[in-house]
Amino acid sequence: MKKMLLLRDRWMTNRALQRVVLILSVFGPATIAAMADNDAGGVATYSVAGATLGNPILFLLFIITPLLGITQEMGMRLTLVTRRGLADLIRERYGVKVSLFIFLSLFVANLGTITTEVSAIRTVSGMLAIPVAPFLIGMLLIAFVFITKGNYRLTQTIMLIVSLFYLTYIISAVKTHPDWGMAISNLFYPHGVAWTSQYMASYLVIGMGVLGTTITPWGQFFISSFAFDKKMDKDTLKYSQLETYWGAFLTDFFSFFMIVATASTLFVRHLTLTSGEQAAEAIRPFAGDLAGTLFAVGVLAAAFMGLVIVPLSTAYAFSEFFGLSGSLDSDYQKSKTFYILFFIQLVLAASITAIPGISLFHFAIATQTLNAMILPLVFFYLINLTSNKKLMGEHSNNAFQKYFTSAASVVIVLASVFTVVAVIFRW
Amino acid sequence: MAFVSELAGRPVTDIDGTRIGFLKDLVARPYKEFSHPVVDAIVVSSEKGENAIPYADLAALLSAAIPLKRPLAEIAPYEFREDDIRLVEDVLDKQILDTDDARVVRVNDIELIRVNGNVVVSNVDIGVLGIFRRIGIERIGLWFARRFHPDLSVGTISWDFVEPLVHDKFMRLKVPVEKLAELHPSDIAAIISDLNRAEHSELLHKLDLKQLADTLEEVEPDFQADLLEHFTDEKAADVLEEMAPDEATDLLAELPDERRQDLLKLMQTEEAEEVRELLRYAEDTAGGLMTTEYVSVLPDMTAAQTIDHLRKVGEEAELVYYVYVTDEGEHLIGVFSVSDLIIAQPLALVADFMHKRVVSVELGTQQEEIAQIVAKYNLIAVPVVDPENRLHGVVTADDALDKILPTAWKKRLPHFFGAVE
Repeated sequence: MKKMLLLRDRWMTNRALQRVVLILSVFGPATIAAMADNDAGGVATYSVAGATLGNPILFLLFIITPLLGITQEMGMRLTLVTRRGLADLIRERYGVKVSLFIFLSLFVANLGTITTEVSAIRTVSGMLAIPVAPFLIGMLLIAFVFITKGNYRLTQTIMLIVSLFYLTYIISAVKTHPDWGMAISNLFYPHGVAWTSQYMASYLVIGMGVLGTTITPWGQFFISSFAFDKKMDKDTLKYSQLETYWGAFLTDFFSFFMIVATASTLFVRHLTLTSGEQAAEAIRPFAGDLAGTLFAVGVLAAAFMGLVIVPLSTAYAFSEFFGLSGSLDSDYQKSKTFYILFFIQLVLAASITAIPGISLFHFAIATQTLNAMILPLVFFYLINLTSNKKLMGEHSNNAFQKYFTSAASVVIVLASVFTVVAVIFRW
Repeated sequence: MAFVSELAGRPVTDIDGTRIGFLKDLVARPYKEFSHPVVDAIVVSSEKGENAIPYADLAALLSAAIPLKRPLAEIAPYEFREDDIRLVEDVLDKQILDTDDARVVRVNDIELIRVNGNVVVSNVDIGVLGIFRRIGIERIGLWFARRFHPDLSVGTISWDFVEPLVHDKFMRLKVPVEKLAELHPSDIAAIISDLNRAEHSELLHKLDLKQLADTLEEVEPDFQADLLEHFTDEKAADVLEEMAPDEATDLLAELPDERRQDLLKLMQTEEAEEVRELLRYAEDTAGGLMTTEYVSVLPDMTAAQTIDHLRKVGEEAELVYYVYVTDEGEHLIGVFSVSDLIIAQPLALVADFMHKRVVSVELGTQQEEIAQIVAKYNLIAVPVVDPENRLHGVVTADDALDKILPTAWKKRLPHFFGAVE
């Protein structure tokens, strides 16, 4: 017993250890959101980006990473300071109509993302030669069970599989001996290709896709709901902020290698990406003949993760917009509304993929572009709320945070307009 | 009857019919003797800024355009008071407390009625129909409700049962929280966990020490520590004294070293000693889980004496259902339940009707093991002894099963303890 006492005392007095525990305890929402950003739609989008555009698309990561970090940090800070979710605050400050409009936009964008995940599952079933219908229904059922009965360890396991899958891209990228100088210099300025008008149009559209899959509207709501749900405290603000930056770095660290791997395997051979088998070529340097299977399993795990988290974020946002901020807890999860919303999204997504002629890769780019177009709308409220001195006190935005994100929003709006023009007149 | 959402945005016209702006907010004043606040003024916004116009100067309020009685230039602007409620800014779309059902709800709309020439806030709309009205499709909502979902239309609560809560730090609770006092501590705890910091700070300060202590016992330890931050050290120490020692210990264990020592110094010596003792044990062992507020008697006491003793100390004890029997050296030698005691003849000696085979655990016994013992022997508490069999405390079943049972099951268990009064 003496020994136990000693241990306890040492535990309580060891400040450094306490701090580590504190960091670990907030190590969560931002990293989870960041990892989930690289869902099946993400893999598909990065694959298309690397295969179609090569290294120059890496330049976007240089801008997207800080933007992701800063906006996620805003959402987290907003919730930690006000103890309200983002959707909550929009409802309280801007009323029902604005809430409804944003919710509907979010619903459509999320439905697109979920459809991408479902169509990824279809692609995987083709690659693994499993009949589509039973496989798909099975996966949807598992997702539903996961939501109702899922636990933290299972979530971690799936995250781990996905992370390992991303590692195969890193190894493959290294094994193809790409021109690292080109890859890294392209992070700072895009160069090394012929800038034809065709290429520039693709760059614009796919670039929007890359933006939309990395920084998502649902991600903005998710991080604030999650911070609320975990009942995190204002005192942990500093650590939470660090974590959001780390999460942003991690997402784009993986994205970087994914793009380099596809660029040095597919882009150099001028292959247009239309099938999962082709996309799997990017990890052949590492996986050899297993590339197809490994890609299929990795994409499946990534798709499953998106299939669970994205509909959840819709349901949570719905509850905040039209119900209560405290309703992320078990009471709401047991409510009929929650299940109906969840079910509707999965069924709608599954029906959309049943329309013939929808290719995972085209659909991914289209929906991620849609996601990107909705971003400025979400940013507008996020920036306004976090800049509000009355609401945030000493934690309101500094000039850099405010102007960087505002400028980015303007650029995204302009890019959206050009994208629409490019799609209508060229594609 | 009218709704605030409908009035907001309506044009306000001067005596000659020229538009001076749009209705932005309604200012209602609460009265002590009347539970519904009365609209006292409106806030009109125009290009030139905002005007607050007293209700007395309006020719009509519940009309499509709101005309003034006198020229705008002659009207003395309304002077805001501390306890005024701005219906749009403070209440609409906000979360409020429904004291009748002890829950937090969101206000979708506010209903006004005309009473003796005044306009009075009657109900708060928290239903889906309120949302339909706000987006201008109330008819579709009503049709839908009649067809498929009759419950949909019932979504209002009377202002009687509402406590407006304010989320911004600069605002205060407008109405005293009298009704809260009637709520069960676990209901208050549930409400508190739905609120943000500024709000629960307001709420906690309205409770008396006993209520505070009871409420704190109902929330999770890490959240308890969080809540304690709202109080001065003196008040925190008072609350800790009021709490059961095992609960106070769990709470103190969550605090940083210095703060814990400060608080212990401020607590009364007796209570502080008990807590210090409990703090020595790891949280998930019998020593950490036990409470020292049990009842023990000597074997040579009679049943009647024991009952007298229980009347005296029962108030303080956390657990009176079991009475433990110890010898002069505090060694545990028996136990009996209150029902054993009542059935026993008044002059019977404790030693004669007590059970001599007592199931007990040691100070270092792990929580899982305690839970198994509690479940196996169907106990509602188990005594904790040291290697010399000296009684140190008891672990109640709810503390033993805590963290082991999923929360959902726990809620289904009857509340054996703490639910008295």
